[in-house]
Amino acid sequence: MLDSMPWLTILAVVPLIGAIILWCIPAAKSAVAPKAALGVSLVEFVLLILTFCAFDRSDAGSFQLSEQVNWIPQIGASYAVAVNGVSLLLIALALLLVPLVILAAWKEQGVGSAEGEQAVVAANRLRHYLALVLVLTTFMVLIFAARDVFLFYVVFEAMLVPVYFMIGSFGNGARRRYAAIKFLLYSLVGGLIMLLAVIGVYFQGPQGEHGFLIDNLAGAINNPGLEKWLFVGFFIAFAIKAPMFPVHTWLPDTAQHAPAGTSVLLVGVLDKIGTYGMLVLCLPLFPNATVWAAPVIIVLAVISIIYGGLLAIGQRDLMRMIAYTSVSHFGFIVLGIFTLSAQGLAGASFYMVNHGLSTGLLFLVAGFLFLRSRDGKSQMIADFGGMQRVTPVLAGVFFVAGLSALSMPGLSTFISEITVLITAIDVHPWAGAFAATGVILAALYILITYQKIFTGPKVEELSDKPDLGAREKWVVAPLLILLLVLGFVPNLALKYLDAPSATSVSVVEGAN
Amino acid sequence: MINASWLLIAIPLVSSAILLLAGKRSNSWGHWLGVLASTASFVVGVGALFELLGKDASERVVDVHLFDWINAGSLHVGAGLRIDPLSLTFVMLVTFVGTLIHVYSVAYMEHDTDRRRFFAYLNLFVASMLILVLANSYLLLFVGWEGVGLASYLLIGFWNHNPNYATAAKKAFVMNRVADVGMIVALGSIFATFGSLEFAQVLPNAEGLAAGNQGMMNLIGIMLLVAACGKSAQFPLQAWLGDAMAGPTPVSALIHAATMVTAGVYLIVRSGAIFTQAPNALLVVAIIGAITLLFGAIVGCAKDDIKKTLAASTMSQIGYMMLAAGLGPIGYAFAIFHLLTHGFFKAGMFLGAGSVMHGMSDDVNMRNFGALSKFMKITWITFGLGWLAILGVPPFSGFWSKDKIIESAFATNHGEGWQPWVFGLVALIGAGITAFYMSRLFFMTFHGKARWSSEESSELVHRHPHESPALMTWPMIILAVGSAFLGLVLSLGDRFVTWLEPVTGHVDEHEPVIAVPVLMIVTLVLVVLGVFLAWRQYGAATVPTTPPHGSVLTRAARADLYQDSVNEAVFMRPGQYATRTLVFGDKKLVDGAFTGLAALIGTIGIGLKKLHNGYIRTYAAMMLAGLIIVLIVAYVIWN
Amino acid sequence: MSAQILAEASFQAPSIQWSFLVPLLIIAGAGVLSVLVEAFARQEVRRPIQIVLVLGAQIIAFLDLLWLAVDTFGAGGKGPSLPVNQALHFDQWAVGIQAVLLICSILATLVMIDRTAAQQDPFVATAAAVPGSDYEELARQRGLQQTEVFPLMLFSITGMLIFPAAGDLVTMFVALEVMSLPLYVLTAMARRRRLLSQEAAFKYFVLGSFASALFLFGAALLYGYSGSVTLYGIAQVAQGHAQSGASPEFGLLIILGSILVLAGVFFKMGAAPFQAWTPDAYQGAPTPISGFMAACTKIAAVGVLLRILNFVVLLAPEDARKALLGGIWVIAILTMIVGTVVGLTQTDMKRMLAYSSIGHAGFIIVAIMGMNEDTLQAVVFYLLAYGVATIGAFGVITLVREVSDRGEVLGEATHIGQWAGLGKRSPLIAGAFSVFLLSFAGLPLTAGFIAKYTAFSSVIKSGVGANVDPSLFNPVPLVIVAIAASAISLFYYIRVIVLMFFVAPAEEREATGELTQAGPNVADPAEDGDDGVLKTEAVRTSVVLLESTPHVEVVKSQGPTLAVIILAGVFVLAAGLFPTPILDVLGSLFGV
Repeated sequence: MLDSMPWLTILAVVPLIGAIILWCIPAAKSAVAPKAALGVSLVEFVLLILTFCAFDRSDAGSFQLSEQVNWIPQIGASYAVAVNGVSLLLIALALLLVPLVILAAWKEQGVGSAEGEQAVVAANRLRHYLALVLVLTTFMVLIFAARDVFLFYVVFEAMLVPVYFMIGSFGNGARRRYAAIKFLLYSLVGGLIMLLAVIGVYFQGPQGEHGFLIDNLAGAINNPGLEKWLFVGFFIAFAIKAPMFPVHTWLPDTAQHAPAGTSVLLVGVLDKIGTYGMLVLCLPLFPNATVWAAPVIIVLAVISIIYGGLLAIGQRDLMRMIAYTSVSHFGFIVLGIFTLSAQGLAGASFYMVNHGLSTGLLFLVAGFLFLRSRDGKSQMIADFGGMQRVTPVLAGVFFVAGLSALSMPGLSTFISEITVLITAIDVHPWAGAFAATGVILAALYILITYQKIFTGPKVEELSDKPDLGAREKWVVAPLLILLLVLGFVPNLALKYLDAPSATSVSVVEGAN
Repeated sequence: MINASWLLIAIPLVSSAILLLAGKRSNSWGHWLGVLASTASFVVGVGALFELLGKDASERVVDVHLFDWINAGSLHVGAGLRIDPLSLTFVMLVTFVGTLIHVYSVAYMEHDTDRRRFFAYLNLFVASMLILVLANSYLLLFVGWEGVGLASYLLIGFWNHNPNYATAAKKAFVMNRVADVGMIVALGSIFATFGSLEFAQVLPNAEGLAAGNQGMMNLIGIMLLVAACGKSAQFPLQAWLGDAMAGPTPVSALIHAATMVTAGVYLIVRSGAIFTQAPNALLVVAIIGAITLLFGAIVGCAKDDIKKTLAASTMSQIGYMMLAAGLGPIGYAFAIFHLLTHGFFKAGMFLGAGSVMHGMSDDVNMRNFGALSKFMKITWITFGLGWLAILGVPPFSGFWSKDKIIESAFATNHGEGWQPWVFGLVALIGAGITAFYMSRLFFMTFHGKARWSSEESSELVHRHPHESPALMTWPMIILAVGSAFLGLVLSLGDRFVTWLEPVTGHVDEHEPVIAVPVLMIVTLVLVVLGVFLAWRQYGAATVPTTPPHGSVLTRAARADLYQDSVNEAVFMRPGQYATRTLVFGDKKLVDGAFTGLAALIGTIGIGLKKLHNGYIRTYAAMMLAGLIIVLIVAYVIWN
Repeated sequence: MSAQILAEASFQAPSIQWSFLVPLLIIAGAGVLSVLVEAFARQEVRRPIQIVLVLGAQIIAFLDLLWLAVDTFGAGGKGPSLPVNQALHFDQWAVGIQAVLLICSILATLVMIDRTAAQQDPFVATAAAVPGSDYEELARQRGLQQTEVFPLMLFSITGMLIFPAAGDLVTMFVALEVMSLPLYVLTAMARRRRLLSQEAAFKYFVLGSFASALFLFGAALLYGYSGSVTLYGIAQVAQGHAQSGASPEFGLLIILGSILVLAGVFFKMGAAPFQAWTPDAYQGAPTPISGFMAACTKIAAVGVLLRILNFVVLLAPEDARKALLGGIWVIAILTMIVGTVVGLTQTDMKRMLAYSSIGHAGFIIVAIMGMNEDTLQAVVFYLLAYGVATIGAFGVITLVREVSDRGEVLGEATHIGQWAGLGKRSPLIAGAFSVFLLSFAGLPLTAGFIAKYTAFSSVIKSGVGANVDPSLFNPVPLVIVAIAASAISLFYYIRVIVLMFFVAPAEEREATGELTQAGPNVADPAEDGDDGVLKTEAVRTSVVLLESTPHVEVVKSQGPTLAVIILAGVFVLAAGLFPTPILDVLGSLFGV
């Protein structure tokens, strides 16, 4: 019975229903919205666990739980979803983060502070925000499950809209509109370039009513010149999404002005779509072009690693700083993917998951920290000091999150990063060696930040700020635990990631 | 007990987790839990030791597989422990000295509100250090390697409300990270060469693979050395150790004298099989050791801060060990032997220094000490034994280990021509200088005239020296005993060397270029000379409470031979500048490129907009002009 | 396609087949009737009758057209035919275009018949009155109603229906004029901003005549080339020359003639360099009429463009063909650039939509350049998606009004700055408008995306792999330009959404002292606040009116407009999510 159910569709639909429910709640009753949203997300999580049960781990390399119906047969588009180990873990990551984000947003949008009339307004805002989060959840499930290029593209573009509103109307700072539009334009422009490639791929493939199924397209492209162009088309879109140097500049602005929760989903999950796309589209569809482009991309990746690290050191705004660390981390992921070796891919896939946990934790804690600043929303590192003595637990959590960002052994991020680095040094010694210097920068940007915010003498105005409350502890606990557990027993995750990586590599090698 | 050896790590790790999570609730009993945990793993260690002694030499290398750790593509690493003489030697050192220092800290940290957290970190350190030495793969070793780095960071910065201390902690961590790059590259190269990271697959195959991969072997060797330099504060990555004295004294004793800083030596001896195949790398190790040996010794002569002097001495002593390790198989065993004895006497002296500070209201400036022997007898005697040990005066521990190193340095196993002479003489001179600065420290602190006074009236600093409580003195006494006799006990019939043979392999010594007895005498003469000079200047004569201007060398030594100035000039400032530039460039150039494009399009729009001025004549003209253009294009194509 | 045409050409035209003319006759007849109604019906009943007449006629015509289509092109149908000798075609494209056209015109009519709660329709009380004269004032106070608009509308639609079906250049010209003349008048009949409206009408008229002149000249040249005005005649001669290498001056004639004829068509399409009238006309005309023009005129014109391309251009000798296509390429590229780049700088909602429609004209031309079996389906779907969204968008504009402090409804608030914060006051309208904009922008899950996708893919299809026709240009570069253009156009569509949802209304901003420029724009450094936005003239892409005397709100109306808006919104989303049925219908019609 378990594996007969259309789990992926269920996972995709439930949050959407939840969102509609939230929108149906009358404005006056908005106060219940957070509980409702959390409920939905927890139900979703249970469904996820069932999905895991239905998934055959021994065969993680192949796509399972597949569903397929014609969608727009005239143009070859079908609704085709299925997951292999990697997709499943990324979906799991998303569905794990969503409840935490909702729980963390409990007091956001002014619900915490406002009274009376204002409180109702705030609650109403929060209701809409959470509804958007749920809509986004649907898209996140779909994009990682999509097995049809057209479906993938449609979701890839459509999911920008909820995020756009999450930043533009629920973000912070006078410049949130600028951030929102910058985010949208960068992504859409990337998307348009990809659109060309999508069309091109179709006509290279078998065409017909299932012409967009990835399985039908894989290996169908036999025009070397065109293959390169199509690869580039896809890669640019993914590089913007990821984001890689030099098309990363939208991320800092966005992260700076988005609500902490949005940043979690944006950087923790949405950006993974870029690297995930490279994994499930670029490699199987354009194996030769992949090999052809690998050297250039690896150079870009190494630049991203070092460049992102250096810029993170130079930031004054904590959110921007975290954003730049992600640029560096995505460099590692891309590096891992384009070593085109099984362990590299496995490491990179694992890196995606871990980065979601680690950055998610970092953004969430940062959000909690800002609530404790003088004006309750300052993001400037310089506005804090000596917080370790004021809020020891928060400091501890932030420190662990920081350690995960600099991939300290014992935390899962270490496994993925060292795997990627070892592979890189094995395959491209110089690139690997340069990438390795990234660990120094990581130490610098984390420790400098920690020192400025948490050590040294207390700041008087902040000395009475409360430490993490129960709700906030619940938000961070799952992530901390996962980081530790996966750090000690990474095989729990690698069991899902190893086989798919091997498969992808064999595809690429088979073609060359 | 060997199969239960995972307990060695698990116990302190769990205890530290409990202490961190339990928070204030555990304030009352936390420190005792810490002591208990460390003691427990010592007991387990002893158990394992006896079990291993039970086996005969050929079976003394046991790999205990715990669980599959990483399976990614062709990278397979299992989490397992290697129980062999080398690792157990360290286990003993770490758990025994560690436990003593735990006990010591109970009293030393008594008045600190965060004592519980301190013990959590100490346990964390013990656990990580044990992972480091027990790991049976380079990757797991790296886990411990980073773990001790973390613990060291936390403990140096234990009082990080003082910005300088926080900075010192960061400095230590970052410099270690620099070294880690070497470690990571080494890991990658090992994987590339051997296709595995587990000792069992790597070390035995080194000899076989060496033929084709000379370059690779040397690369691996050098990179491991880089890693070792960071951890063991060897030149050129030594700068952090002095600042690390910001941590509470027990930390300095345990981490920055007895155990962690010697991890580099462990790494090299552990990788002996690889280094044996990489002669060039080995030579570099010896050279680095020699340089650091002198560097530390020189710095030690000028410091007035008792802890920093000891730190410099540690640096120099590890220099000896590095030099020994750099001599190849002949030296491996002696490196470890000296490491062991040094662990005892240096820890003992640090605890003594702590005890002095305890009695002198946390003053560290030796120019405010003097004549303390009368006021803190136990400290004086225990410290004295340590002092004799490090000087290498027979029959104390140091003599047995250090003399061997000097002999081997002069031996020709490791190379002909200049090498025996250079390394030998460096080691010899080093011994002399060591004698001088350690005696300087000893006399300035315990002898000569008191440069403090207990009367309010006097213009001297106002102190009430007193002996420390039993909890502090007993560890010192035990360590002092160790410093006195450990060397003797272990070198009877080359016991220790034979014990290590399963790991280091057996080497029959060549004759040194100078006869052994001669060497011994020369060494002793130099030592006595050093002591005499120190006595004349700091024991007999009165020591000025404000440091004299001093010679160029003295001033250089005081400034750690300008190591920080160099680092700042070469790395820090350029780095900061680069960062600032990039931040600017990212906004103006990278981002500007895109926003600029948008602006450009906007401008074009404004321009074209002017054509839509609302006049029919303009519009008609536009139509006509456009039409003509189209026609021209068509005509051109047509022809 | 060309082969099939020649097959038909050999077929002898029978006497007139009335059944095929019924849809046209219904509309035309209704037009005549409604003139009589104007003459004889009493003022109070006049309006209801007219409304019934106009809507009824169009709906019946539409249904009859469908019936004919099924009957002719369905299973066992006789296939294409020439009902009136060669003057009219009754073939798939004619039917497809006419159907879409009627759908849009019906929606447009619904918007047109709407009236505010205060019984005010969008049209001037007495068009004859001099603006601002006492007479006009008197007429307004008397509450005079203008219903001549309805017959005018019907005549215009008649012309539009004939235009794409016309089989010879004369019919085509007549249709062109029948369709245009009423529009000139309608443009002049805005209730408010009368002068602007009349000026717009005058410009439209003068430039329109200019275009017609070009068309006529072109027709004459083509006649000179082929000795025939029927498309078949021209086609046969052209192909004759194509087979037996034609002599140069003939070649030149067909090039000149076709380009001039096309100029007339492009003018109606609003393609550059013949686009200049559109912004002015759309801005001045009564908004429902702007919507009607933007949608229906364009649809009709595209129909003709397709026809001329397939009968003349594609059959011309290769050198001439290449030359003509080259010319059309230039026009396509110019159109896309003007439509998007100049659109960026607009601050008036109606002008902005005008430029958007120009841009779309460009995309449609690109789609047509594919010239393969998928083209027709793609183009017609594009027209449908575009037309419905356009009428919906203009419908929204009719509802967003300035309201005086005394609560009386004034003119439309067409300055985009006035739309700030609309999303908070009436999320439904703002949401619908966003949907239309996103559809224009071609974002997935909207009809606009499917339209763009099918269009571009049909073009790329003839550009990749084995499908490339050596005798034509490879159209892929055009698509790349189109992609770039839509990237730019994104900016001004999204800008409006930002304005509606993320910016507080002007008066609120005044209250909070946040008198910042409303348009977010990509061209300012990340650190400084909104006040730093207006750095360069280049980025002054939108402005908020700070003197906020009358406030802006979405006014209540009698309803049809709202209905149209919702209908259009639903259609755009539905066609974006499940376009299959529509594509099926079109597919079976065009035999894809």
